[in-house]
Amino acid sequence: MANQKVRTAIIGLGKMGLLHASLLNVMKDVELVALCDKSGLMNRLFKSAFKGTDISILNDFNKLSELNLDAVYVTTPIPSHSFIVKSLYAKKIARNIFVEKTLAENYTQSKELCLAAKNVDSITMVGYMKRFNVIFEKAKELLTQGNLGEPTSFKAYAYSSDFVELSKNSKLTASRGGAIRDIGCHVIDLAFWLLGDLELHDVTSAVQTEKDGEPPFSFMAATSAGLTGQFEISQRMPNYHMPEFGLTIECQKGKIQVNDDRLILTPVDAAPKKWFRHDLHDNVDFSMGEAEYFRENRHFMDALLANQKCEPNFETAAKVDNFIDQLLSRSSPQ
Amino acid sequence: MTSKQSKILLVGDNPFHGISHLSQERARDRSLGDSAAEKANIVKTAIENGADGFSFSVSDTTLLILNKMREKNWLNQTNLYPIIPYAFEYVRIAAQVGTPGLARKLEKQMILSRNFGAMLGGFGSVITVNPEGLLKAYLAYEISRIQSATRKKAKLSSVILHEVVTDMSLSLNFDWLFKSYISYLSAKGITPGFNTRNFPYLVKKFKEWQIDLDQTLIATQFNKAGFQMNPSREECEKTLQSTSSPIVLAISVLAAGYFKPPEALSYISSLKNLRGAIIGVSKEQQARELFSLFKANF
Repeated sequence: MANQKVRTAIIGLGKMGLLHASLLNVMKDVELVALCDKSGLMNRLFKSAFKGTDISILNDFNKLSELNLDAVYVTTPIPSHSFIVKSLYAKKIARNIFVEKTLAENYTQSKELCLAAKNVDSITMVGYMKRFNVIFEKAKELLTQGNLGEPTSFKAYAYSSDFVELSKNSKLTASRGGAIRDIGCHVIDLAFWLLGDLELHDVTSAVQTEKDGEPPFSFMAATSAGLTGQFEISQRMPNYHMPEFGLTIECQKGKIQVNDDRLILTPVDAAPKKWFRHDLHDNVDFSMGEAEYFRENRHFMDALLANQKCEPNFETAAKVDNFIDQLLSRSSPQ
Repeated sequence: MTSKQSKILLVGDNPFHGISHLSQERARDRSLGDSAAEKANIVKTAIENGADGFSFSVSDTTLLILNKMREKNWLNQTNLYPIIPYAFEYVRIAAQVGTPGLARKLEKQMILSRNFGAMLGGFGSVITVNPEGLLKAYLAYEISRIQSATRKKAKLSSVILHEVVTDMSLSLNFDWLFKSYISYLSAKGITPGFNTRNFPYLVKKFKEWQIDLDQTLIATQFNKAGFQMNPSREECEKTLQSTSSPIVLAISVLAAGYFKPPEALSYISSLKNLRGAIIGVSKEQQARELFSLFKANF
């Protein structure tokens, strides 16, 4: 693929599909060939909106087989990921696939997708874009340097106010996969990335009670090396204008407190240091949403051009799905 | 256009929505429990101390502020620079009910607004699958919400398209959207505005599409840290110098509190081709001090 444009299509034109389309379309080494959505009305509207551009609008992903694609993005609702990805491989529509998180609806499906990808030597990626946030990258750098010694414990959270006004057990949260799949998966992936593979320990009751009576989802996890930590996940926290993800990591020689916006490093023997995005060169060639989305897409395209494996791929994301399956099987229904 | 008097200084509304681009933590800490009346008072104070108008996302919160200002006779033909759509709210609704659910909710709101022009335009455009018609119907709806709150006691100087829509439309080459937006608002005597995080890219595309930049207003980040200035601070500054007239309103000049006002002022004062700046404040005293400082020195 060297010296060529990466011929790409996107299936699913919700907000994530449009975001990826926008970012890919400004990259000089990418050719956005087609967009696909099964909704009849949206399809007709997009056909009209994209009139005059070189991008085809399709209502059936099977039609992508005629387009000689290098890669496909799957940004449809989670329950459809498995069927679509398997079909893409089976019909040889594209060898390389990006899937928005989570990889699949459950670990069984994820394992099947990993196998299908392996069989065709596919370069894969899953949309855990928090890894491309400059603040979390800084946390990874500090932990890798090891100046704080080994981590000894951690606390992690994923909070949003998306459903703060809705009644308990709303069908809407369930239709999106619930808080764990929707936002919890990001902080679980971050914990895996920053601290190593985790095993689930206890799924506990609420630590904190929210105003309307529904507790955050709370559980304990540990690494094989004995590092233990607690997670809290809720989409019903008041005043979280945007979803927020964070970790406090206690180490032998200090502490790291990190979230989407800032990192505080507190060594035991020195003054604390603080970094905001402003301090970490958060600029990108083109920004939509946050800068990490551009970096994530660039990372996938660079991997394709170099014909190299990239992270987080299907195998990495399947670990998160496995963890979530265990979590959900050991907790009461959300 | 380089004289001090001609610069536009606007009070922004991010603190009223609990938004901080420095950190959400900080936004929650300073979260304004204040009533619409108190927020209206902050806007009034900013205007009394040098602000030339109010720039805000069109939401229930800001429409209530405008209502309060009108009730207290504080509007006095204040210049308004609304930003549409209120993306955070729409993203939140989309998170709850999905994109089709968001479209249905918006349609319902337009019906409830009883803006018959918007309703008819909207229905007709859905039936004929006409995105330009939908855009115009949506604009009519948002303008009617503002007019309903102000009852013509304020001046709609510009309507600024939110960065999410601007930047997506730029990257997907929707030149029709920009041309249609400009033509619709210009016909109403309103300056078409665009909010972007990709200023050099916007200028490049507008030139390519032969859109006259001089008839627009661009709201984009300018701050000493280069925060949200893409692809780089240097490129944004260079592009600013290249525009034939001052069309840029600087936003995030304090980088959400990262810089102290004198430092932020020193940087934006060094830029030769700015039309003005939008600055958010969360306290009456801050409004008084900050706008006095910028009015005297910007």
